[in-house]
Amino acid sequence: MLKYGVVVIGAGNGGLAAAAVCARAGLKTLLLERHNIPGGSATSFVRGRYEFETSLHELVGDAPDGTPGPVMANMEEMGAKVRWVMEKSTYRLVVPAAENEDGFINEDGVRVKIDARMPAGLKAFARKLDELVPGSYDSCIRAFEIGTTMYDLFNYLETVEKPSLSYIAKNIPGLALIARIGSHTVKEVLDSIGMPPKAQGIFTTYWGYMGVPASKFDFLYYMCMMYYYVANGAAMPKLRSHEMSLAMDRAIRDAGGDIWYNSEVTKVLMKDGKPNAVVINGEKTVYADHFICNGFPNFVYSDLFEKNDIDKKFYSMANARSISCSLTTVYLGLNITREQLGMHDYSIFIAPDEDSDKQYQAALGGFGSGFIVMNCLNTAIPDCTPEGTCQLFLTTLTYGDVMRGVSPRDYRKYKNEVARDMIETCEKALGVSIMPYIEEIEIALPPTFSRYLNTPLGTPYGYMLDMWDSMLPRRFNYEKEQPFDNFLFVGASQERGDGYGSAYYSGMKAAGETIKKIREGK
Amino acid sequence: MADNFNKLSMKGFLDNLKGRSARLAAGSPTPPPATDTSREIARALHPGVQYATVSSVADLPDGAKAYELVPDKIRGTEAFAFAPAGKYLTVFAEINGMTVTRPYSIASSPADSCRNKYMIAIKPVEGGFVSNYIIDTWKEGTAVKISDPTGNFDYQPLRDAQKVIGIAGGSGITPFLSFANAIADGDEDFELTLLYGSRNEKAELFREELDALAEKTEKFRIVHVYSDDDVPESDGYEKGFVTADLIKKYAPEGEPYSLFICGPQAMYNFVDEEIKKLDLPRKYVRHELFGEPHNASSIRNYPEGDFPATVCITVHIQDKTYSVTGNINDTIMQSIEKSGIAVPARCRSGECGFCHSIVLAGKYWIPENLDFRRLADEPFGGVHPCVTFPLSDIEIDVPAAK
Repeated sequence: MLKYGVVVIGAGNGGLAAAAVCARAGLKTLLLERHNIPGGSATSFVRGRYEFETSLHELVGDAPDGTPGPVMANMEEMGAKVRWVMEKSTYRLVVPAAENEDGFINEDGVRVKIDARMPAGLKAFARKLDELVPGSYDSCIRAFEIGTTMYDLFNYLETVEKPSLSYIAKNIPGLALIARIGSHTVKEVLDSIGMPPKAQGIFTTYWGYMGVPASKFDFLYYMCMMYYYVANGAAMPKLRSHEMSLAMDRAIRDAGGDIWYNSEVTKVLMKDGKPNAVVINGEKTVYADHFICNGFPNFVYSDLFEKNDIDKKFYSMANARSISCSLTTVYLGLNITREQLGMHDYSIFIAPDEDSDKQYQAALGGFGSGFIVMNCLNTAIPDCTPEGTCQLFLTTLTYGDVMRGVSPRDYRKYKNEVARDMIETCEKALGVSIMPYIEEIEIALPPTFSRYLNTPLGTPYGYMLDMWDSMLPRRFNYEKEQPFDNFLFVGASQERGDGYGSAYYSGMKAAGETIKKIREGK
Repeated sequence: MADNFNKLSMKGFLDNLKGRSARLAAGSPTPPPATDTSREIARALHPGVQYATVSSVADLPDGAKAYELVPDKIRGTEAFAFAPAGKYLTVFAEINGMTVTRPYSIASSPADSCRNKYMIAIKPVEGGFVSNYIIDTWKEGTAVKISDPTGNFDYQPLRDAQKVIGIAGGSGITPFLSFANAIADGDEDFELTLLYGSRNEKAELFREELDALAEKTEKFRIVHVYSDDDVPESDGYEKGFVTADLIKKYAPEGEPYSLFICGPQAMYNFVDEEIKKLDLPRKYVRHELFGEPHNASSIRNYPEGDFPATVCITVHIQDKTYSVTGNINDTIMQSIEKSGIAVPARCRSGECGFCHSIVLAGKYWIPENLDFRRLADEPFGGVHPCVTFPLSDIEIDVPAAK
């Protein structure tokens, strides 16, 4: 009989982190993955002479005093050795001017409404914002000040078992602030500190990383992300996300953990009302005391359990929540350099309007929203492609079922139309020519993400981090929302939603809970 | 604007907590949807493996055979995955207790795949193992296991020129038959001029079908190229090999064109030298899979050194560990398969990454032109066993076969 202390289902970032922490704690750990490589979203793929970064836009880099960013620190803590490249900038926001709109001709010769190239560093960022929107300096600095208290909050939330609001209010003076802003949206708080609307637009450009616009997203979480990115700048693994995932694979093996690839859990077996084994590829059964699952709850319930195994309240929970956005990404290997192309930035957000809510509304309409994030990895890692070439990736987001009516036979044509529109939108907004230089191209629409991530509508983002279902209330209810005390979910569906850091955190947390239960003999 | 930050409500947070609990409890108590359109498209295009039955066998020149496949519903394949032109299927075969795989280009059209038909054509190979086994044993009614359509030898309108010169040799004609049909059916939209190299007319596969397609659509044109010395001069075909001059003769003037090349390794070696003379941007030159490497020590740039003739390969697959003796002239994959152990494999040319495994200890060598590993593979021992040759005893973790 094959028996483990912990079986981790799925080697996405959450599963990798969970397995690493469990194995390092000395638990007999088995990590199961249905694909042949680790990482889920955190991977890469090769076409011709290009290796494309699959999903990572940026991690938080090291702080000006050299303190590593949170994910960098997490990986170190888990024994995963990765070489990092820092990119000390944040983003550029380009809003092309419509015909009837005021605008100016920028250095690319494009008539734009906004062209904001934002630096890293809190003061530098605020000064730039003030230059673009006079009178916004103080509110920007104020927002960052509130952001600094997030360190304390995150420390508190990560170290306590059950967070207590009254404890926060009474004992941690800085954190009373959190309770005050905890129920307010980005827009409400920015309004309250007097940030001008146009500056808010530039300030909330990162909303696309979480899929929720300023009027629906909680300020607290947005500021956590924003503060770190602006204070520290970005970091990237030198050799694509595959380096991070293989480093985690190695760390798990080094700690005595087992990893089985091409090993899909096809069934969870129950005993006394709790999971006690998994069936792999329909043939091999492995028993365990504890399970950590990187699958998406909605599909895990339908794919792995019998209907009556799951308490109905978990069905209610899954049905009540909205599935967050799906992504579409176009990967381009170009046979010219980024300098020849005229790309000077790493991250460029191209948007039909600076207001995140208007961008969101456009994205609700499906493809063709004009909201695209374009990344040129060569800006951060000059030698990430062979000499004389560069790689770009273009990402847009959509909501809901955008694939309805597309047959498998039409799918490729449909993909090409979507990609053509995205490329042309970028060419126009940036005054560059991309199309003639495409040597390699791959297009990932939601079905591609469905195939590799196995989530509803292919979302990499989990449940929508709407104000009502935001991070803090998820945190305060964490334990109640796991279907069994020996079966914990990790990944983007959990507390912090999408993002590498969020997923690693979810894995480390579930591993911590599991280790504690085992030590307490539960 | 006034700073009214202190007016933000603290109470709202508590209300939010309660509100959320109520909202979650109010969701429907029935199981959430088990699928959606995105998942269904992914499943329809990439079912992983498919089960099929040989529905007919046709004789082709030189002992080659064409096999038409239909879904095997009894074993669970209700319908075939859609096959865009240019894709291949990996065939799984059990031969003398060995589970082995080979990729074969799909010769049938995308439209045929919608009618639940695939066709592959297989040529006997001197000393060949799987091809000859299939030719000897497959007949009407044979049950076979195949992968979903896969590969990167497809026409991409955002990347490739509108005009394509195809270069085919031997059974490398099969994807072009699919392209020509797809063009005639409107599934693909580009102009294809095919330079089809054979010894002579009699050795050509699908000659009648190709000529008929060229009659049917102006977007497809076929040029027969015969290499036998005793073929008489004629206007109906070209004599010799596919050279740079011949490509130029049929290439459009003053506008870009893409070259698509599919054939045996010997043809790639010859044609690639010719193509260099044309000085085309790399984006306009596309190859189908190079094919499986053999006889490591005869391959260019094989490392100098005193390597043992045989090595011990320790293979971990899930909870099992096997000890296999390997010849250093065989790939790690070949040695494992010869021991009767099934391994994951698709392209067998280093390209698709499906066999990605992790070497835990030992030295190995990978031919440069077949090295499609990811950059991070090197420091962490990631390899594609289908193109990796051992240079010492090896310990390797291989994913389960599927």
